[in-house]
Amino acid sequence: MNPQIVFTGLGVVCGAGLKVDGIWDAIRHGQSSIKEITSWDVSRWPLKMAAEVTGVDNRTLVEDRKLHKMISRTDLFGLYAANCAVQQSGLLGHRESLDPAAAVQFSDRSGIYAGSGAANYGCNYDFYPALAAADGDLNKFGGQFSESVNPMWLLRNLPNNVLCHVGIRYNFKGANACVTNHCAGGILALAEAAATLRANEADRAIAVGHDTPCEPESVLHFMRLGLMAAETVRPFDQRRDGTIFGEGAASVVLEKAADAQARGAAIFGEFLGSGCVTEATGVLRLRPDGDGLSRAIELALADAGITPAQVGLVVAHANGTPASDASEANALRHVFGEAMPPVTGFKWAYGHLIAASGIVDVVFALLALRDKIVPGIPTLQTLDPALAPLTVSSAPQTPRSDIALVLCRGFGGLNVAVLVRAHP
Amino acid sequence: MNQRKRIAITGVGMVTPAGNDAPTTWANLQAGRSGLGTIRHFDASGFPVRIGAEIKNFDAAAVINNPKLLKHATRPHRFALAAAEEALTDAGIRPTANDGHRWGFCVGAGMMAMDFSELQAAQKVSAPDGEFHADKLLSDDFPADPVAFSRNQTNSGLALLTRHFGIRGYATAVHTACASGGQALGTALKVLRRGQADYVLAGGFDSMLNPTGLSAFCLLGALSTDNDAPEQASRPFDATRNGFVLGEGAGFLVLENWEAARARGAKIYAEFAGDGNSLSCYRITDSPPNGDGPIQAMRQALADAGMTPDLLDYVNAHGTSTMMNDRSECAALRAVLGDHVGHVAVSSTKSCMGHLISAAGAVEAAVCALAIRDGIAPVNANYHTPDPDCNVNIVRGQSKRMRIRAALSNSLGFGGSNSCLIFRNPEEVQ
Repeated sequence: MNPQIVFTGLGVVCGAGLKVDGIWDAIRHGQSSIKEITSWDVSRWPLKMAAEVTGVDNRTLVEDRKLHKMISRTDLFGLYAANCAVQQSGLLGHRESLDPAAAVQFSDRSGIYAGSGAANYGCNYDFYPALAAADGDLNKFGGQFSESVNPMWLLRNLPNNVLCHVGIRYNFKGANACVTNHCAGGILALAEAAATLRANEADRAIAVGHDTPCEPESVLHFMRLGLMAAETVRPFDQRRDGTIFGEGAASVVLEKAADAQARGAAIFGEFLGSGCVTEATGVLRLRPDGDGLSRAIELALADAGITPAQVGLVVAHANGTPASDASEANALRHVFGEAMPPVTGFKWAYGHLIAASGIVDVVFALLALRDKIVPGIPTLQTLDPALAPLTVSSAPQTPRSDIALVLCRGFGGLNVAVLVRAHP
Repeated sequence: MNQRKRIAITGVGMVTPAGNDAPTTWANLQAGRSGLGTIRHFDASGFPVRIGAEIKNFDAAAVINNPKLLKHATRPHRFALAAAEEALTDAGIRPTANDGHRWGFCVGAGMMAMDFSELQAAQKVSAPDGEFHADKLLSDDFPADPVAFSRNQTNSGLALLTRHFGIRGYATAVHTACASGGQALGTALKVLRRGQADYVLAGGFDSMLNPTGLSAFCLLGALSTDNDAPEQASRPFDATRNGFVLGEGAGFLVLENWEAARARGAKIYAEFAGDGNSLSCYRITDSPPNGDGPIQAMRQALADAGMTPDLLDYVNAHGTSTMMNDRSECAALRAVLGDHVGHVAVSSTKSCMGHLISAAGAVEAAVCALAIRDGIAPVNANYHTPDPDCNVNIVRGQSKRMRIRAALSNSLGFGGSNSCLIFRNPEEVQ
């Protein structure tokens, strides 16, 4: 029998805000944070939209100014979200109440799982002055790079920076990983953290996903591949034309229910199970029949020990690209048949956070369960007839139970499904 | 607690600076023959560090006869394809259309896949004066090649290998710097124990041996600058050590349930018996001098394997040959092994093949499997001057023939992730 795993802290930063409740209000009121890009001049760009985090001082994200020089923007988001989740959990105060030996044990049994975007084009630009000066002469480059490249370059760009700095900040020294699996990173970090607690390899864990995909060179490539929308994300709509990048991070604190209850912690929901598979289709392709997603959902249901009929709502990946949404609809029909629970998706509100996309959706799935509401998709005007029947709506729906299914898909044919339940 | 599933290693594959396959690598490690030298595959003559541990005379097409596939593969992806192919062939089992969904894939992958020539081409158009101009990306001259884009994603290697081998189950890529390969194997062990897969192809691949990767490590001052004596530059635990030697390569293992492996008559190198995983929470690039962090990971690994330290005969150390890392690792070994420390043979095979970064943990796990099979603790090459702070039983001079009941492999990464794995001799499995 698996021990019950619960969520005792939540944190999010994204284009829609820095507070979980505020972002949730915006989602419920149909407010999108997708706007014209400000981080570079897009006046000549055919695509101009993203859900950027704007008007936020770095010190609001991470107070320690010394750290700003050692990490990159994506890490600031990750550290901020993790801090929100940890502060909300009250774990640090609890540790302080323990005797010294128990506190050491507490720290050694506290894990961290990060899902990191792990790469962007921008980090390479630090080498451009040296490359331009060398003008193709590698010998010259080798002699001169140290004059223009920041000596901290490698450390600033380590994919596992959030893992490391969250660890240092809270002295959480237990089981850990940094998952660099494109969009699946954040949600797999959460699933691995939960599995680690179930296997009793740790007693509590922070899971955090973070990413900053919105940079010109990525937008260019996604655009050329036909993956980007002109204006907004319109999941499952017949006019859908792609996705829109968002940036930010989401974090959860997971604990064994017995521990959380014993220390009187507030509980925001329960982790029930997960499934992860690849379709083995390479980086960009996916199967039109939704095979991988169906299998991931079925594995998650089996892991949770529940039936499709018990699922009360679905937060779909719903990235707005023609191919992904179509295959996702196929998978949902395959699993649920005629009895499909209400389906929604949130990328119209805060864009596609890539490595953070799945874990941020888990946070708002928990709030949907708490408030017993399935927010509508305001950008959905006409359901693509090829995807019908599909229980999506531009208006709010009501969950049919206290269980939510969250879906996340990524490059490499990755499909991850996570099931969570409201806490009574 | 439930009886844990026992997991077997049934296949190994390696592409390393010491050899382009597992038998060659293993023979050279046993002989203490160095795979280190002056960097040849790009002109490093102007760099402060001009030595590395390169893969030499590697012909991917000879192993993977699929030009279209190779077009989608970067240099480290090619190492990965070859090492994985060798591991599957060695195991005598591979995914089929019927059971591909029961195969998992866990890999430690590098942080940067973009080829240097691509970077140069992008810079010429988008930053001719050194400063990046976003609008120049919109120029027809900008090389926005979709194939290059799909080669350079964080999980491109995972995508390439799962597709090529038809692996349709759990698939993940992890990056905890130098601990990545070890963490990928640890994840694979858990995936198998949880029943999320019946077989896992697990390993790591990396190559930061390119102008930007080399620059990045030079800037940190982490590399040995012994440009005139590359074969002696990596000397873990020696008092005169002065940094690591950057390597490249790949290692993969086939892991499966013990009983299933026995039932199909597979040869079993070792039981993959335990995984320990901790964070040092100290500094990004340094390990704590007292070994805190690695200590917890090693203890967890022993506990996970249900073992006491006296059953351990060999440690394949992380042993990077940097002053701090080696000292910290030895402090941790002494703390964990206690009175038994003098009886455990310790060596760092990085002395012969350099530091393979994200691939290191996987390659060194494969080395442990072969060490157990053949009863040989490979030599810690270039060890001449003992360091009182590294007072452990180092395999010096030549490799040591000895029965190995169990071996420990350490991977201690930048960022403080520590991954410690334990492998048990199949004869010790009751």
